[in-house]
Amino acid sequence: MTILTPQAPPQRKETWLDRLEREVQTHPGVNHLLLSRLATGPYTRRDYRVFGLQHVALVGFFTRYMELLLLRAPSSTEKLWLAKVLVAEYGEGSDGDDHETLYRRFLAAAGAHEAEMDATPLCPEVWAFVREHLRITSQEPFLVGLGALGPGHEWAIPKMFAHIIPGLIRAGFSAEERLYFDLHTEQDIDHGAWMTEVLSLLVTSDEGREQVRRGARLSLEARYRFWTGVEREIVAWRQPVSMDAARAGLHVGGAVRASAQSVASPGDRRALNATVQDFRLGAPR
Amino acid sequence: MRLLLVQPSPFENGRLGLENVLWLSEPVALTSLAAMVRDEHEVRVLDMRLEQADALPRVLDEFRPDLVGVTSMTTDAYQAKAVLHCAKSILGSGVFTLIGGHHPTLAAEEHDEAYIDAICIGEGEETFLELVEHLAAGGEREALDGIDGLQFRRGDERIATGKRGQARALDTFPAPARDLLDAYAGAYFFGPAQGMVSIQTSRGCAFDCNFCAIWEFYEKKVRFLSARAIVDRMEAAPEKFVFFLDDNFLTHRGRMEELLDEIERRGVKKHWMIQGRTDFVADNPDLVKRFAKAGLSMVLSGYETNDQDVLDSLEKGATREQNLAASRLLNDAGVLTTGIFMVRPEFEEPDFERLYAAINEMKITIPLVVIHMPLPGTQSYRAAGDTLLTRDARLFDLLHAVVPTKLPRAEFYRHYARWNQATMASTRGSLGLGFLRKRPRLALDVWPGMKLFTRRREMVRRIMEDPESYLRDEYEIIGHDLEQVETPREPALQTQS
Repeated sequence: MTILTPQAPPQRKETWLDRLEREVQTHPGVNHLLLSRLATGPYTRRDYRVFGLQHVALVGFFTRYMELLLLRAPSSTEKLWLAKVLVAEYGEGSDGDDHETLYRRFLAAAGAHEAEMDATPLCPEVWAFVREHLRITSQEPFLVGLGALGPGHEWAIPKMFAHIIPGLIRAGFSAEERLYFDLHTEQDIDHGAWMTEVLSLLVTSDEGREQVRRGARLSLEARYRFWTGVEREIVAWRQPVSMDAARAGLHVGGAVRASAQSVASPGDRRALNATVQDFRLGAPR
Repeated sequence: MRLLLVQPSPFENGRLGLENVLWLSEPVALTSLAAMVRDEHEVRVLDMRLEQADALPRVLDEFRPDLVGVTSMTTDAYQAKAVLHCAKSILGSGVFTLIGGHHPTLAAEEHDEAYIDAICIGEGEETFLELVEHLAAGGEREALDGIDGLQFRRGDERIATGKRGQARALDTFPAPARDLLDAYAGAYFFGPAQGMVSIQTSRGCAFDCNFCAIWEFYEKKVRFLSARAIVDRMEAAPEKFVFFLDDNFLTHRGRMEELLDEIERRGVKKHWMIQGRTDFVADNPDLVKRFAKAGLSMVLSGYETNDQDVLDSLEKGATREQNLAASRLLNDAGVLTTGIFMVRPEFEEPDFERLYAAINEMKITIPLVVIHMPLPGTQSYRAAGDTLLTRDARLFDLLHAVVPTKLPRAEFYRHYARWNQATMASTRGSLGLGFLRKRPRLALDVWPGMKLFTRRREMVRRIMEDPESYLRDEYEIIGHDLEQVETPREPALQTQS
C-alpha cells in the first residue's frame, strides 16, 4: 500500500549524503522524547529556565570546535568552507547580537539571573558533550570532525529547535525572547546546505564517507545523552532533595530499566569555559 | 502492515506516580487491540513504563511502523501525545497516528493536533480492526467516515464518525496477545506480588458515583467474560499472581459463585487480586471465606471516607458500617486489603486526624489516601466549572488539589503529607502472625518480591511525605509563590562536587 509509506521516495538515485541525512534526522539524539515532550506538553517558564541553564553551556562552544577543526583542515579548500560557517557563527546575520547575547536574552526572559548563567552546576552529560566534541575535533581524523560539526550539528539543530519552539510559544516567550531558537532553524538550514556542498566536494572515498558518518553518529550519541541529562534536571528541580538518593539505583517500574545515572555535577559554566579555552591541540584528553 | 502500539510512561523518568510504585499492570488495552489484527499484520507492543526513553525512537526507526497507536489515561495525556509527535518526527507524515483510551474518549477536544491522525472513541477493538483493514486495503486516511467510533482529520476539519456500539459479548473477542509482552515477563506487579498476569473479566460498572467516569465511558452497560474463559486465561498464564482489572469485580453473587465453582472444579492454584466494593463484601460474608480458599489474596476498594454524609454526597451507595464490616471480614479471612480514602479540599486539621484514626480503626493493609478531585469526564468535573484552578492533566493524579482548599495550600499539604506515617498502625493491625498462619503459601510466594516492593515504597515515601513535593509540582501551574518554599534542588543552589 502506498498511502502509509513514510515520505515519498526521492525521484533521483539516493546518494550517500541522502542516506546520511536520513540517519541524522531519525537519530534518537535528534528525536529525544524530551523534545517531543517540550513540543506537546505545558512546560512552564521555570522549567525552561532549568533547561536553559544547562543548554547555555553549549552556546558559544561551537565556534571553538570549528576553530580547532579549521586548524587541522588538510587544505585551503576545506579551510575556506569552514571559515564561511565560522564567520556566520561569530554573529554575522544576527544584527550585531552574537549567539550568547541572544541566549542570555532568552534566559533572562525565563527568569534566570545573570550570575546563574555561569554559576549553575552543569549536569555530567553537558560536560561529556563538550569534552566529546573537543576530542572529536582535535584527535579524530579531520573528516570525523567534519561529520560531527556538519551533519551532526547543522543538519540536526533546525529539527531539534523546531520541536522546542512550539513549547516556548506555549510558555509565553515572545518572538524576541526566543530569537536564538528561531534564528537557528533558519540559519542552520543555510549552514547545512553549505555543509552538504562541502561534503560532496571533499569526500570522495568510501573511507572518507565512513569517517563523516562516524563523526555524525558520535556527535548525536553525545547529544542524546545531553538531552537525557537536561530532562533529568527539569524533572529533578520539582522534587525534594531526598529524591536524589532514592533515584540512584532503582527504576520505579522494576526489573527492566537500568539504574539511574549519577547526578553529581563536575562543575559550572565558568569551569567548563576555562576547560574549553585552555584546550589545545594535542592536549591529553 | 507494521503496527506499533505504545503504552506511554505516565511521567518522565524519575518522576513518581502511584501507579508505578504500587501497581504496574499489563497494557491489556494494547494486547487486546493487537489480538484483533495480529493474524494479518506484524504487531509490536512497547511499554514505555519499562523502557529507557531512547527505546521509542530506536524502535520507530528500526521497525518503521505504518501505524503507531497509543493509549492514554488522564495523567498520561501529554506523554501519549509526545509518543505520537515523536512518531511523526521520525517517520514523517506517512505514518498513521492513533490515540485512544479513557482520556481521549472523554476529552477528545484536547487531542485535536496536527500530529494525531485519529482519535478512537470508546471501546477500541472493532474500531481498530476496521481502521487497519481500511488502511491495509489502500483506503484514504481522510475517508474514514464508514468506521464508527473515530474522530479524524480531513484537512483542517476534525470529523466525528458514528457512535461505536459497545454491545459485543466479551467471550467473542480473542484473548489479549500476551506473548507480545514477553520482553517484560516478570515486570508487572501489585505491591510485593511481582510477576503478575492482568486479566479483564468485565467492562463497565452498574453504579454511577459522581466522581468516577467508568460508567460514562461504558455508557452504564456492564458485560462479563464467562467463568470458563476467565479460568482458561488464568490457567494459560505461567504467573502465580493474577490481577483482575475490572473496575468492579464484585458485581453479583451468581457470577461469583459460577467463577468459584469453575476455579474449584479445575483445581486452579493462583493468588488473585481484585477491585471490588465494600458493600458486596459486607453483604456476602460466606462468599468471602470461599473466595479466600480459592485464592483471593487482595481486595482493592474505594472506602473513600469515614463520614456517612460524604459517602451519600458522592452517591456511593455504601455505608460506613459496610466499610467497617468489609475490612473486618477480609482481615478475618486472611485477605489483604488496599483501601482508597479521599481527603477533601475543604478539610481542616481535625478532619485529617479523624480520617487517619478511622483508617487505623479499620486495619487496612495498604491504605492509600488521595485527594478528592473532579476527574475529566465526570459529573463532578462538569459541575466544577470555574472553580478548577487548572486543567493541566498532570495534576489530575489524585495527589493534588485542583480546586481551592479551605486551608492555605502549604498547610493543607502539610496535613495531607502525613497520611502514610499516620496510618502505619492500620497496616500493622492487618498483618502479623495471624495472617501468616492463615495464608502461609501466599506469604511465601510474595516474599521474593518484598525487597523490591520495600525499595519502591521507600522511594514513594520520600516524596509523598514531603509537603514541598506537591507545591513544586504546582509551581507556575497553580499560582502560589514558590519563594515560600525552600528550594534545595534549585540548580543555582546545588552543591558542587
